[in-house]
Amino acid sequence: MKLSLISFAIASLALAGLALRPAAPEEGKKVDYRFSTPPVNAAGIKSLAELRGKPVLIDFWGTR
Amino acid sequence: MPTAVKHQRELGDDVQVIFVECQGADRDTYEAFAWRMKWMGNAAMWTDERPMEMPGSGLPQTALIGVDGTVVLQGNPGALGKRLSEALEAEIKKSKQPPAQAPAELKKAWTLFLKGDLAGALAECDAATVPAAADTRTEFLARINARIERVKRMIEAGEFALAEEHTAALEKSVKGHAETAAKVAEQRAQLNDPANARAKEASKAFEALVEKISTEKPFDPGNVKKMSALAEKFSGTKAAERAERFVALSKLRAGV
Repeated sequence: MKLSLISFAIASLALAGLALRPAAPEEGKKVDYRFSTPPVNAAGIKSLAELRGKPVLIDFWGTR
Repeated sequence: MPTAVKHQRELGDDVQVIFVECQGADRDTYEAFAWRMKWMGNAAMWTDERPMEMPGSGLPQTALIGVDGTVVLQGNPGALGKRLSEALEAEIKKSKQPPAQAPAELKKAWTLFLKGDLAGALAECDAATVPAAADTRTEFLARINARIERVKRMIEAGEFALAEEHTAALEKSVKGHAETAAKVAEQRAQLNDPANARAKEASKAFEALVEKISTEKPFDPGNVKKMSALAEKFSGTKAAERAERFVALSKLRAGV
C-alpha cells in the first residue's frame, strides 16, 4: 500500500513536471524570436524574422 | 563534428545554422569551446538564448525552420538522420523558387525578386490585378529593408568585409528602385569613407586570419601570436577588439 502511494506520488510529480514544461512548437507552427543579445557571429542578425526566406537550422547542444 | 557545422560549411549562405548552448555555460566558455573544436570560421551563429523550446529532452536536439518561418522537422539529429538532410535540401530548393501558394500572376514577380531584381519584381506586383499583389510588394520591400538594416549593423560592428559583400549584392538588387537604392547608397558611402579605411583594412585582415586558422588549431600559440599582432597593428578598431577577444578566449582553460 505504502509502495503504491509512493509510486503514485512519483508519477504525479513527473506528470506535473511535464505539464509545467512549455511544449516545443509542433511541426507546421510559426517560430519567431528576437535576440536580446546578438549571438556570437550574428553578422547583423537580430531576429529570426530577418531570416525569412532562408531555412534555419537550430541546434540545441551542450558544452559539457 | 556536429552535422549542423558540416551543413553550414557545405551549404554556405543557403542556410543559417544557430547553435544554442543549453547547459548553462557562459558566452566565453561556449565560444572558446567552439573555437577549440574547430567549429568556427563559418556563418553559424552561437547563443544561449532559446528561440523556441527544445523539441525533446536530452541533447543534442535540432529543429529545422522552413522558408516560411514554420517548424518543418524537429528531434534528435541522429534519430532524424537522412530525413533532416532531405528536408533541408527541399527547403533550400523552395528558397530559390516562388512560394507554392503564390498566385500564378505573381510567380514572375517572385522569380525576379529571387534573382535579385527588386525593381522588376515590384513592377510585376504593380501590374498584377490579384489582391495578393499588395502583400507581396510589402514582403519584397520588408526583406530588402531588413537586409539594408543588417548591413548598417555590420558597419556599426566594424564588420566591413562582410558588409562590403552584402552591399555589392544589394546594389544589384535595388537598381532602378529609387527609395531603397538611396538607402543602399548611404551604406556604400560609409564603406567608401576614407575615415573608415583603416577599420576596413583591419576587418579584412581579421576575416582572412580567421579563415586561415579556424580549421587548423585555432588556439595554437603561433595563431594566437598572429591574432595578438593584428590587435596591436589595428589598435582602436572593432576588428582589433575581436582579435583581443580571441586571444583572451585562447587563455581560458579547456573544460572550464
